[in-house]
Amino acid sequence: MIYSIITCGVGGQGLMLVSNIIGIACAEYEYNIRTAETHGLAQRSGSIYTHIRMSETEQIYSPLIPYGEADVMLAMEAIEALRNIEFLKSEGLIVLNDYIWHPVQETFNRVKEPKQTYITIDEIIQKLHEITNTIFKIDALKIANEAGNALASNVALLGFLANTENFPFTLDQLKPIVSQVVPKKAVDINIKALELGYNATSTG
Amino acid sequence: MIKDVTSTKEKNAFLFCNEAIVRGALESDVKIVAFYPGSPVSEILDIFYQIADEFDIKIKIASNEKVALEIIAGASMGGQRSFTAMKSVGLNVASDTFFSLGYTGTNKGCVLLFADDPFCHSSQSEEDGRFFGPAAYIPMLEPTDPIEAKEMVKAAFEISEKFNSLVLIRTTTRINHQSTIVPINPLERSAFEKSSFRSYNRTFSTVGSVARDLKLKMLERIKKIEEEFENSPFNKIREGKGDIGIITSGISYNYIRESCIKLKINPSILKLGTTYPIPNKLVSNFIAKLKTLIVVEELSPYLEKHIKALAKEVNPTLKIIGKQSNHFSEAWEYNVPIVLGVLQKIYEIELDISYNQIIENANKLKSILPPRIPVFCPGCPHRATFWALQRAIGGNSKNIALMNDIGCYSMLLINAELYPKLHADDLLLAMGATLGVSSGVSLASEEKVISLIGDSTLFHAGLPGMVNISNNQEDVVVFVLDNSVTAMTGQQPNAGTGYGPGGKNKNKIIIEDMLRGMGFENVIIVDCFDTKNAITPIKNALNEKGPTIIISRGPCALWNDRNKRKRGEIIPHYYVDWEICRKCHTCMRDFYCPAISMESKYKEYKDKNEKLWKGYSSHISAELCDGCGVCSIVCPYTDSENPSDTDVIKLYKEGEES
Repeated sequence: MIYSIITCGVGGQGLMLVSNIIGIACAEYEYNIRTAETHGLAQRSGSIYTHIRMSETEQIYSPLIPYGEADVMLAMEAIEALRNIEFLKSEGLIVLNDYIWHPVQETFNRVKEPKQTYITIDEIIQKLHEITNTIFKIDALKIANEAGNALASNVALLGFLANTENFPFTLDQLKPIVSQVVPKKAVDINIKALELGYNATSTG
Repeated sequence: MIKDVTSTKEKNAFLFCNEAIVRGALESDVKIVAFYPGSPVSEILDIFYQIADEFDIKIKIASNEKVALEIIAGASMGGQRSFTAMKSVGLNVASDTFFSLGYTGTNKGCVLLFADDPFCHSSQSEEDGRFFGPAAYIPMLEPTDPIEAKEMVKAAFEISEKFNSLVLIRTTTRINHQSTIVPINPLERSAFEKSSFRSYNRTFSTVGSVARDLKLKMLERIKKIEEEFENSPFNKIREGKGDIGIITSGISYNYIRESCIKLKINPSILKLGTTYPIPNKLVSNFIAKLKTLIVVEELSPYLEKHIKALAKEVNPTLKIIGKQSNHFSEAWEYNVPIVLGVLQKIYEIELDISYNQIIENANKLKSILPPRIPVFCPGCPHRATFWALQRAIGGNSKNIALMNDIGCYSMLLINAELYPKLHADDLLLAMGATLGVSSGVSLASEEKVISLIGDSTLFHAGLPGMVNISNNQEDVVVFVLDNSVTAMTGQQPNAGTGYGPGGKNKNKIIIEDMLRGMGFENVIIVDCFDTKNAITPIKNALNEKGPTIIISRGPCALWNDRNKRKRGEIIPHYYVDWEICRKCHTCMRDFYCPAISMESKYKEYKDKNEKLWKGYSSHISAELCDGCGVCSIVCPYTDSENPSDTDVIKLYKEGEES
C-alpha cells in the first residue's frame, strides 16, 4: 500500500521541513519514499506544494501523486488547499490550518471593485466538503505561539497528522527527527509544537 | 540533508536529487567546480558553496555559464577533475565553447550537468537540450531518479577520463526537484595538489586544418563510446510479455512503471540511460521482434525519430506509438494520468477511475479561487523602482516601449495588469537580450525605449549589448536594477556583491565605473527606497536624447533580511493607524505589497464610533512587513520625511500596540 500526502501552502510556510521530517523517518524505519517539490520561482508569496509518497513494502515510481490518490492533504493555507484538491482521494483526510493568506491579486481586484469581498475559509471548506467529509481545521498559529514561536505552525500540523489513522510513524518516532532537523535553539519549541499539535482538537 | 551529503559513513539517506548529485561529485573526488546559478540546479551551487572549504574544493561563481564551462574545461585540461551544472538555457549560452570542446576533448574527468525544464516552471522556453549531445558529438547520460543521478555523476567522470571527452548529464526539473532514499557510498578524498599542464603533453586547439583532422578523431571517439554504451549498466531491459514494447528515458520511466502496475500489464521495457550515443544494436535487438513499440519521452521526439530510422532496417512493419502518431504531446510535463491514458488506449483497458472527471470536478470547485501569482517580496527594491517609473511616465504611457529581461523583475510580465502604464508584456526574451533588442526597436520605431536589466544579468550577458548602445549612441534609457545579488535563483553573490563563496572578499565590480569606462556620459544613480525623489531624475532621463543609464539601487529584501538576522538586528515593521486611515486605498491600488491587505474592524469597534469604523482600511501584516517604508511614502496622508502622530502609516516602535 502506498500512503500519499499532498502538502500545500504559500512560499515561506515551511513545507519543506515537513517533507524532510517524514523523509528522514522513512530512511530510519526503512520505508520507501519519493517526493516532488516546488522550488525556484515560488519562493515567497507564491503557491507551493510537496507530493509525498511512501510505502513499507511497495516500490514507488512516480514522485507525483496521480489525481485522486492522496490519502491526506496537509494544508498550511486554505486557498491553496482548494487549489490542490484534484490530488486528494474521495473521502480522504484534510488537515487544514485555520489560516487564509489573501494574494495581492485578490486585494487588487477588491480595490478596483469595492463591492467585492475576500474569499473566506468557510466558503472554501464548503467546496472541500464536496470531495470529503473528513476535514480537521486546526489553529496551528495559536498552537505554535503557545509552543513559543509562530514559525512552528508547520510542525504543529504535522503533530496533528501523526495522531490520525494510517499515518505510519508515532509521535515518539518523530520527536528525535524533529530535534535533528530544526536549528538547535528551536528544538524545544518545535517538540512542544509537535506535542501540542498531536493533542490538538479540530476547531470545526 | 546537507550533513548526509558530507557524511563519511555509509548509509541510506533521504536526499534531495541536487544533494545526491553533489554527493556523487564528492565521491568522485571532484576538485574544481564552477557555476552560474539557475533553477532547477541552483541548489547544486548552493550546497557546494557551503561545503567547498571542508573538502578543499575550488569553487567559482562564474559570470555566466559559458565562463563556468570554460573554467571547468580549463581545470580538466590542467589536470583536475571538474564539474559544472546549469539550466537548459545556460547551455545555450555555453554552447560556443561547448561545440569546440567536442573537437579538442578534455583531460581529467570533466562533467557538465544540464537541466531541461518541461512546463517552463522557471524558464523562458521549454527546449529539449538532448539535441546538444549529437550536435556536438558529446556523450550524454540521463537519470530516472536521484539514486541513478548520483551513480551517473560518478560514471560520467570515469567515461570522461577513459575517452578524454566532456560528458553531459541531462536531467529535468522533476528529476532535480525530487527526494528519495539514496545509498551513500564511502568517501575517499585526496588532498588538492596543483598539477602540471605541461606534463600531459596535450594540446587543445581547433581551427581550420587542425579542426578538420580533429573532426575525424571526434567521429572515431564517439563510435567507441557508442560501443561502450551498448553494455552500459544504465540501459536496462525489463523483459515482459506480448509483442508490445516500450522505450523510454528519464522521468517518464517512472510514470510507465506505475501505469503498468495500475493497468496490470507487463510489456517489455527498454529504459535508456545513455541517450547519446544511442546504443543502436541494443535498440535494434529490442525492437526486432515487436509488433508495436511505444516511445515515451517528454518534449521533442528525440528517441522516437532515431528509433524510427533504425526500425526501417530491422523491423519495417513496426507500429510506433509516440508523438508523431499524435498519442503524446511535445508540450509540457508528463505524469501518470497522461502516460496511463495512452497505454490504456493501446491495450484497450477500461478503468473505474477517470482522471478527466476528477480534473473537471476540481476545476468547477476551484472557480471561486483568486489567482496567486508570484509577486515582488515585501521590501523588494523593484516594487519601489516601478512605482517611481510609473509616476515618471505619467500620461506618456503610449509613447514608451518597455524591454524587459531575465531576473526577479521578469515578474512584471506575470503581474502586467498591476502596472498598466509600463507595458510590462512588451518584450522578454533571454539573459541580456533587452539591450540589443532595445537598440533595434529604437532604430525602427518612434516610442521612447526603456530597457530593464539586473546587475547579475548585466554581468552575465549584458556587456556586449551595453558596448553597442554606448558605441552607437542608441536612443535608449537603460535601467540597471542593482540589488547586489543574483536574487531570483536564491541570492547568490555576483561580481558586484563584493564577496564570494565562503564569504571571502572579491574584487567588487563598480557598475557605474564600468559603464562610464564604456563611454556612457549620462549615468544617474537613484536610491529606489527614496522613491518620491527618484521620480524627477527618471522623468528627466526619459526626456533626454541618446543613451542614458539609470542605476536604481537597493538591496534584495530576502538577502538583506537574512544578513540582518545574522547580525542580530530586528527587522522593523510599519502599521496602519486605523483611527485616521482615510480608506483611500492608495497604498493598495498603486503598490501591491503582499504585506498589505484590506480589512475592517467594524464588528469590533462599531459600538465606539460607527462612522469611524465603517468601511475597509489598509492593514499591514507585522509578520510579512519588511520595514522598507515605501508604503509610507506612497500614502498621501503620511509625511514620511517628518514622521508624526498624524501619519496614517507609522513605524512600529518596540512596546507599542499596533
